[in-house]
Amino acid sequence: MTQTITIDPVTRLEGHGKITIQLNGQGEVEDAHFHVTQVRGFERFSQGRPFYEMPALMARICGICPVSHLIASAKACEAIMSVKIPHTAAQLRRMLNLAQMVQSHALSFFYLASPDLLLGMESDPAARHIFGVVASKPELGRAGIALRRFGQHIIELLGNKRIHPGWVVPGGVTEPLAPAKRDEILAMLPEAYANIGLALAAYKQIADSFKSEIEIFANFPTNYLGLINEDESVEFTDGTLRLIDPKGNIIEDGIDANRFSQVVGEAVEPYTYTKFAYYKPLGYPEGSYRVGPLARLNIAKTMGTPRADQELVEFKQLASGPVQSSFHYHHARLVDMLYGIEKIEQILTDPLILDKHVRAIAGVNRLEGAGQAEAPRGTLHHHYKVDENGLITWANLVIATGQNNNAMNKGVLQAAKEYIHDGQFTEGILNRVEAVIRTFDPCLSCSTHAFGQMPLVLTLLNPDGEQVDQLVR
Amino acid sequence: MRSPRVCVLILACGNTLRSDDGVGPWLADWAEQHFAAQPEIRVISRQQWTPDLAVDISEARSVLFIDCSIESDPGTIQLRPVEPAVPQQGLATHHQGAPELLAFARDLYASSPSSAQLLTIGAGSTELGEDFSEPVRSALPQACNLIEQTVTLALASFER
Repeated sequence: MTQTITIDPVTRLEGHGKITIQLNGQGEVEDAHFHVTQVRGFERFSQGRPFYEMPALMARICGICPVSHLIASAKACEAIMSVKIPHTAAQLRRMLNLAQMVQSHALSFFYLASPDLLLGMESDPAARHIFGVVASKPELGRAGIALRRFGQHIIELLGNKRIHPGWVVPGGVTEPLAPAKRDEILAMLPEAYANIGLALAAYKQIADSFKSEIEIFANFPTNYLGLINEDESVEFTDGTLRLIDPKGNIIEDGIDANRFSQVVGEAVEPYTYTKFAYYKPLGYPEGSYRVGPLARLNIAKTMGTPRADQELVEFKQLASGPVQSSFHYHHARLVDMLYGIEKIEQILTDPLILDKHVRAIAGVNRLEGAGQAEAPRGTLHHHYKVDENGLITWANLVIATGQNNNAMNKGVLQAAKEYIHDGQFTEGILNRVEAVIRTFDPCLSCSTHAFGQMPLVLTLLNPDGEQVDQLVR
Repeated sequence: MRSPRVCVLILACGNTLRSDDGVGPWLADWAEQHFAAQPEIRVISRQQWTPDLAVDISEARSVLFIDCSIESDPGTIQLRPVEPAVPQQGLATHHQGAPELLAFARDLYASSPSSAQLLTIGAGSTELGEDFSEPVRSALPQACNLIEQTVTLALASFER
């Protein structure tokens, strides 16, 4: 008899998802899926709104990385306006995006992942949470909280709100950086450096004890996509996209936001509301790829900052080509954070950073525009069409979690096949399957989209709970 | 980033788009204006209480948590002491209660406020909306009075 194991909800994720594992009659794993069970309608209900409202509207899609949505959306609007924003505005946005990356990665690494990493995959689930981490390694708990506050405080200083700041607008930002705020951020940097140094050292100490997880946590060859600068350094806010193959060869380079939809398609599967992005010339699923910290570090030749560059050299020694195991997302996330702190320092010493010219003004000059940025968990793409009055007629968002979707599903299957035999499993085994998903740090709230009509099953039950009728759309 | 030790921290929680759930932020706004001339009183209002607030709690001598309650009758005001407590299971990563936050402050920063109280107002409705139900609206003056009394008592105790 076949059997289905359901993990619902998957814990310590951003958003709501579940995992199902199908066993055959011999109790061996036949298939496994990661389901995103919530649906959002932002692409639909933004239709009819003025384009200049889009950044503030779209940022509400999620409280974890609203800044990346703000930036990708504002850039799409600027394509419609046909303007290039002032240098200072671009630098300030870059700093805001990096601050968000640091706080989001701190949440992922310290709050969500570290209970598995520090307490063990098989440890008592009742204590396998942030309190357990605090009891076991209080210095890391303090570092995690401090790094999260570091990022959040910068967002609050720049945008006047910790979540959903309205400061990023089409054309730039609403106000320049005040000297007092610059100095306050500069004063926060030494503590941030100390905390990320502590985290990197702690991670490297424990990583060797997870050799078996490294082997089977979504450890397979894929393509990788991410933003990069002309000097092949990591980029979060501007630059263009590069796609590499599993051996590290460049498949396509210089993909700007306007060309994104020509090379990236989106497939749908019946078991989830999240779409599956793929590189069109290779088709689906062969053209699937991974994004996010692992992809960024696999693609970049340099981070562009001295301390992170040292870490990148060490990271690249994990494999002879691209680092394939998704377990290494954790490591890459910490390198990202170090880079973010260094880059913020570089930005603050830009001689033009206090310049007052931070916004370009224009109306509708094109009827279509696209923008892209790196969110903490990977590439984010916004694409809009407007009418002559600037009202949105169509919108599409391609989200990092959708771009990692195929790899997440394959990773769940890989781990389930490794750990589950004869229909036997323990809580610790199921936690390992969940932990595969945690390595990607998916954020599910913005990743879900209806394709065509929303699939719906309406079941009519009588008072005894028996099915009377069912309508499937 | 650590600020000088504040005497009283008012820490409110709630969603202003969920009717009576917004009573915490409303009372925080009131407190912010009412105590604006007193820098020893700090007010923080959040949609959710998250672990990073442990830093702020560790810097305070007294904490007054404010939240709505779906367990109390609508408009019912309760003020009770809170003790630090580590949850045995079912810890939510994105939201902690007052006892968990106090435990975080104690365990991470070896610092606990000398007094911590939780003021709750029973919610009549937490449906989508920006208006309060009649019981909660009627309870607001009493809640404000109670906040003022609690803060005044806390400040007086530190002067002794």
